[in-house]
Amino acid sequence: MAYEEVKIKTPLLLRVLPVASILAFFGAWQLIISLGIIPTTMLASPSQVISIFIEKLSEPNPDGAVLWVHAWTSIQEAFTGYLLALLIGIPLGLLMGWFSVAEGLARPIFEIIRPIPPIAWIPLTIFWFGIGISGKVFIIWLGGIVPCVINSFAGVRMTNPTLIQMARTYGATDWQIFTKLCIPSALPMVFGALQIALAYCWTTLVAAELLAADTGLGYLITMGRRLAMPDLVVLGMIMVGLTGAVIGVVIDWVEKRLLAGIRR
Amino acid sequence: MKTETEYKILCEHISKEFIQKGSQRVRVLDDISLNVKQNEFVVILGPGQSGKSTLLRIIAGLEIPTSGRATLDGREVSGPGPDRGLVFQSYMLFPWKTVIGNVELGPKLRGIGKKERREIAQHYIELVGLTGFEKHYPHQLSGGMKQRVGIARAYANNPKVMLLDEPFGQLDAQTRYFMEKETARIWETEKRTVLFVTNNIDEAIFLGDRIISLHGKLPGRMHQVYDVHLPRPREHTDMEFLKLRHDITEASELTL
Amino acid sequence: MNTIANEVQVQVRERSPLSIWRVLKNRWFLHAVSMIAFFAIWDYVAINRFLGSALARPYEVSLQLADMMVNPIAGKGLFGHIWASTQRILIGFAIGAVLATPLGLLMALNRYINAVVKPVFDLIKPMPPIAWISIAILWFGIGEPSKVFIIVIGTFVPCLLNAYNGVRLIEPQLYDVVRMLGGNRRDEILHVCFPAAFPAIFAGLQISLSAAWTCVLAAELVSARSGLGFITLLGMTLSRPALIVGGMVVIAIVAWLTTLLVTGLEKVLCPWKRELQTA
Repeated sequence: MAYEEVKIKTPLLLRVLPVASILAFFGAWQLIISLGIIPTTMLASPSQVISIFIEKLSEPNPDGAVLWVHAWTSIQEAFTGYLLALLIGIPLGLLMGWFSVAEGLARPIFEIIRPIPPIAWIPLTIFWFGIGISGKVFIIWLGGIVPCVINSFAGVRMTNPTLIQMARTYGATDWQIFTKLCIPSALPMVFGALQIALAYCWTTLVAAELLAADTGLGYLITMGRRLAMPDLVVLGMIMVGLTGAVIGVVIDWVEKRLLAGIRR
Repeated sequence: MKTETEYKILCEHISKEFIQKGSQRVRVLDDISLNVKQNEFVVILGPGQSGKSTLLRIIAGLEIPTSGRATLDGREVSGPGPDRGLVFQSYMLFPWKTVIGNVELGPKLRGIGKKERREIAQHYIELVGLTGFEKHYPHQLSGGMKQRVGIARAYANNPKVMLLDEPFGQLDAQTRYFMEKETARIWETEKRTVLFVTNNIDEAIFLGDRIISLHGKLPGRMHQVYDVHLPRPREHTDMEFLKLRHDITEASELTL
Repeated sequence: MNTIANEVQVQVRERSPLSIWRVLKNRWFLHAVSMIAFFAIWDYVAINRFLGSALARPYEVSLQLADMMVNPIAGKGLFGHIWASTQRILIGFAIGAVLATPLGLLMALNRYINAVVKPVFDLIKPMPPIAWISIAILWFGIGEPSKVFIIVIGTFVPCLLNAYNGVRLIEPQLYDVVRMLGGNRRDEILHVCFPAAFPAIFAGLQISLSAAWTCVLAAELVSARSGLGFITLLGMTLSRPALIVGGMVVIAIVAWLTTLLVTGLEKVLCPWKRELQTA
């Protein structure tokens, strides 16, 4: 704690342990399949996953498309829903935060929609739109819009009241205060929403694809189960996790570039 | 020449370096030597960034000096402990405990029984003037009240010395004057040896028997020692007070 | 002369006369307009069949709900299905929270445990719990354990992260306080870590709970014979939109009630915590 001497070098053990841990994890995983402790009908070993990964790079069977097509479909759907959620949710939240008319009208509807997990919309959406892309985009949009509205709303509400009073003494109109003060003030919270909404959108996408799709990473996972091919399932899972993480890093990078210089 | 054990606190040639990220060495204190006698109220005066908080933390045992040593009653300080009461600048009260919960924590940690520690806590809450606020939570209190809880909490362990680290730095001017008077009153009621850190010259002259001023820039170095012979209670507008204030201001880099 | 009495009088006179503009801007009026418009549009769309026969009128939905409360569907009454879903959540949530919270605390307190566990955790973290459904079914079949497993995974990540960060973000000077009062390392953990991390742990539990809801619904949509997700799925397969919407309404209400309960609990347990409304 605070009164110990500041050590510059981390002990060797601490630097080795993370690497050892990861290696042990994969090693154990490989071993329990190779040694037959868990049958290959239930789980695939890392080597099997890698081999099917290489296979899927060019082989469209047995699920109908190569890996790249699946990933791209998923990313497209997720991004469309995500961008729509941002485009609608953020302005809506910002307006709700400042204009009481907007809040009065939009709030009840929002509070009704909010407790419903986006996944609960899946049966209804399939019923309306069928299994195509538009249904999935709708659900993803629903998933992403909630954090956007909430964070934008909170961001505007958190505007420093002293600054607002100061703007009023200069004779600024409501609209001017909104555009020139509240919105820039709310930017950090809005950017916080970007990451959260992305995570929601991505999970909702996977859920939607698991249940109703014919391409996409979620579909890949389901097909793997139906064909009793756990290597496909694990491949799908890893791709889902990896893609989600990569997109998150990209958003983070964009955020840093755009917010450079503004103190959070 | 007094021998070592007749000083309550003794700092001998204390220096402190911090190693920041990138292995940059920052020298915060350079060859500080001072002594404090029993029941003396000594003020360490210096502008910001002069290492005075670090000096206090070394005496508290929360930091280890790079060279030199600090002793309490002749024994070297080797770690934190309840024999030195520390009052923090940002109060550091436990927000999940009530006022009395905070004050009686020290006795509780030392294994004192419930009834007895309640009495101890109650006594010190009365001493600092917070009777009636025992069941309040820190977030319900003003800054001055929170700091009084901090003082009561330190006193509750019956420490040999009280260490106060710019305790009124976060308070507004009016509350600050009030708290200075309160501190003087509390000290007169229950005398302890006090080491008080501040950057405010008025505060230093009002409270201290002796003022040790440090240089302005890092590393902190001994500058001047002033003996304050004014009778208590002191008046900020007294001629002697103002004269001393003038002298200190001239000599140091502190501005009023 | 400006006395308090004068000020009060002045304030009263300042209130503008009742005008149509004030009524229109009143919050509750707008809420009411919004709600009425919402149901009206819903009804209109349903009647005129803009979405085919796919939307049920609000009236039909309420009839369906009333019916469900009396007559069983697929073997259970409405409350039987609610309990089925809730039961899975409770079990999964309990297991997940009990496993994750101590682990998160340990990871924050001990650098070695952190070095071992965190890398593996960071690998597993990006995978949405729903992605685990297929493998869970391969392992446990389509019965209850696979659903509970997903919920455990869904609650595990937020609970662990919040416990971990709850301890990591504690103000370091609070440890100094305990040391200066005569405490040792054990006292530090008992008297600072646990209470200071508690609001964060509780927030983790709240997040886990909503994650658990999502997980249980997803699991039920894939393979179930009872539960709220199952009801909505049944509505879809039987082409009964009133059932789908009815199921969704019940889900919304139950989810809202659970959130209310947990928020109320937080106010009781953590009276010192300041609130900030974020996602």
